[in-house]
Amino acid sequence: MGTISIEHGDHLYWLGRYTERVFTTLKALQKTFDKMIESEHGYTEYLSYFGLTDIYADNWDFIKSFLYDLNNYNSLAFSLERAYDNGIVLREEISTEALSFLQLAKDTLAKAQKAPNPRFALLPLEDLLYGFWGCVYENIYDDEIKNIIKCGKAVERLDLYMRMNYSYKKVKKEYTRLCKNLESIPENTPYRYNSFYYNELSDILDSSDEYKTDGQKAIISLGHIFDKTEVSA
Amino acid sequence: MSLQPEQTKFAQAVGNADEINELLRRYGVKFGIYKNGVFNEQFFPFDPIPRVISAEDFKGIEKGLVQRVNALNEFLFDIYHEKKIVKDGIVPEDFIYISKGYLAQCEGITPKNRIYSHISGIDLVQGKDGEWYILEDNLRIPSGASYPLIARELTRIAAPEAFTNNDIVDNRNYAKLLKATMEHANCGGIRAILTPGRYNAAYFEHSYLAEHTGSVLVQNDELFVEDNMLYHRTYSGGKTRIGVLYRRIADEYLDPLTFYPDSLIGIPNLMEAYRSGNVGIINAPGNGVADDKGIYYFVPKMIQYYLGEEPILHNAPTYLPFYADDMKYVMDHLEKLVIKDVAEAGGYGVVFGNELSKEKLEEFRKTIIAEPRRFIAQEVIDFLDLPITDNGETVMRKADLRAFVLSGETTKVWASGLTRFSRNPDSFVVNSSQGGGFKDTWVLSR
Repeated sequence: MGTISIEHGDHLYWLGRYTERVFTTLKALQKTFDKMIESEHGYTEYLSYFGLTDIYADNWDFIKSFLYDLNNYNSLAFSLERAYDNGIVLREEISTEALSFLQLAKDTLAKAQKAPNPRFALLPLEDLLYGFWGCVYENIYDDEIKNIIKCGKAVERLDLYMRMNYSYKKVKKEYTRLCKNLESIPENTPYRYNSFYYNELSDILDSSDEYKTDGQKAIISLGHIFDKTEVSA
Repeated sequence: MSLQPEQTKFAQAVGNADEINELLRRYGVKFGIYKNGVFNEQFFPFDPIPRVISAEDFKGIEKGLVQRVNALNEFLFDIYHEKKIVKDGIVPEDFIYISKGYLAQCEGITPKNRIYSHISGIDLVQGKDGEWYILEDNLRIPSGASYPLIARELTRIAAPEAFTNNDIVDNRNYAKLLKATMEHANCGGIRAILTPGRYNAAYFEHSYLAEHTGSVLVQNDELFVEDNMLYHRTYSGGKTRIGVLYRRIADEYLDPLTFYPDSLIGIPNLMEAYRSGNVGIINAPGNGVADDKGIYYFVPKMIQYYLGEEPILHNAPTYLPFYADDMKYVMDHLEKLVIKDVAEAGGYGVVFGNELSKEKLEEFRKTIIAEPRRFIAQEVIDFLDLPITDNGETVMRKADLRAFVLSGETTKVWASGLTRFSRNPDSFVVNSSQGGGFKDTWVLSR
């Protein structure tokens, strides 16, 4: 494997997680926007996914906070800033071109804040993230390094899909994707999976019935997937 | 204001700056700045009107800079070995040992190929008489090459016809020159660029140059010395030997076992590995003794002493209050001189006598008398203003040029440079940290 440091490995993993968080959150917020057309509090379901209290006066108050507020750790702006923070220290690995997509994403979000129809103004953000990932995959030639960012992305997507009650079919698809990434990680490297939690996750997600009853446990197992200490059953 | 026909031609060549600034923004061309203890990243304002240097002018500058940097490299070797220039009475001992840049820990060290200043940033200004003057030498960690490099790349996208219609030397070879310079200093291993991290003012440059030279960008906690070799600790638990380290941190923070023992940063035993010739360090530690503002005065004498040649490029007329005659001149003409504190950099510690009140001037006079070695005084050069665009208008502003000289197998001057300008009409200070902008520097091929 190429000479990247442990620190850069971590930044790659979190770059994958935060860019995916922006992407999946954006899609969920677009759906929430749609619900708001007919409802004054169309966002309550979104809050319930994450166990958050409704402290918002109306739809617009919620939107302002979840799109643009850097002090809201669940906002799109916060996740995008963290993605940028992790990306900016990886220029020589991912390239200036790839970073430019993150800069454009930040600019697009900033412009949307002033736009009369933020939902419309945010549409290019999805394209920019596709462009970003394409550019990253194009520039990292070492499959092992590329797999670190893919793992981060897959963990984040599966986690959010489970929290947002996506259908078993969709969750299973993302779980299968994650398994492929995890199996490619060599032993004795920082992102080698923890066998105990991996097996626990597999037991639940291999069956739709298990997923229905133990979905919360699956989220917890996923959170421990890279724990260093192996656990006996 | 009206421009000469030639200036108008170039002023209109690139056209509107908006597209280029949009591209610079897109590619994250920023520099960091701390204000009230808070770190902010700012876009570096770009002006589309290039500074144009004729082929003939550049030939002279090139020759003069190669001469100057070669002499400075000779000086550094001499100072850390026999000190013949001191023994022969050319440079007073005081100016060596009192200089903060002189590091006793570097005594006797000979870097590979005897090169100390691999990348030299020499600041010049052009007088209204057309003559170029050296303002200062930067031989430690001169920054700024990445900005004109990426600006040229982007200007070629935004205004391709400017390059079709003018005979401009292509400057996009900087990374290639830098890579060759690094390889020449390589003692066996990979190339690495050492950065203090994301919150350093020049982080964009560190990462951009790493990307374009194919070097690994590292921070000090990723490095260690084992068996007198420098290694990079890798993700998979292995180690890779580093043969050359282009460090972008100050000398004093390189190795806590050699310099600051209380420092939490630095790589223990790095200096020993360097002294043994197992790793090249770019630029060599200890170079500060040669780019000290006080030593600047002696560079023309160094050229005569080491090379037996007359200096091609001149210093700005400079006085050292250390010498009685110069002190008298400085005291008699303080109100028309610019005084520089030799310990300061980045445009700080620069005082224009004509800007001081009578009381402040008297106060300052006493400080100079009390600490003559701390200051140099220079005539204010009436340097050529350059046109810049300001809210759609063309206005004239002060500007300097940082030329980059790379010393590897041979000493080469990059046919470009960083032209920085002041945005304030009354200011001579062009530093980006003080609100200045930059423009492309075109060297004409004929």
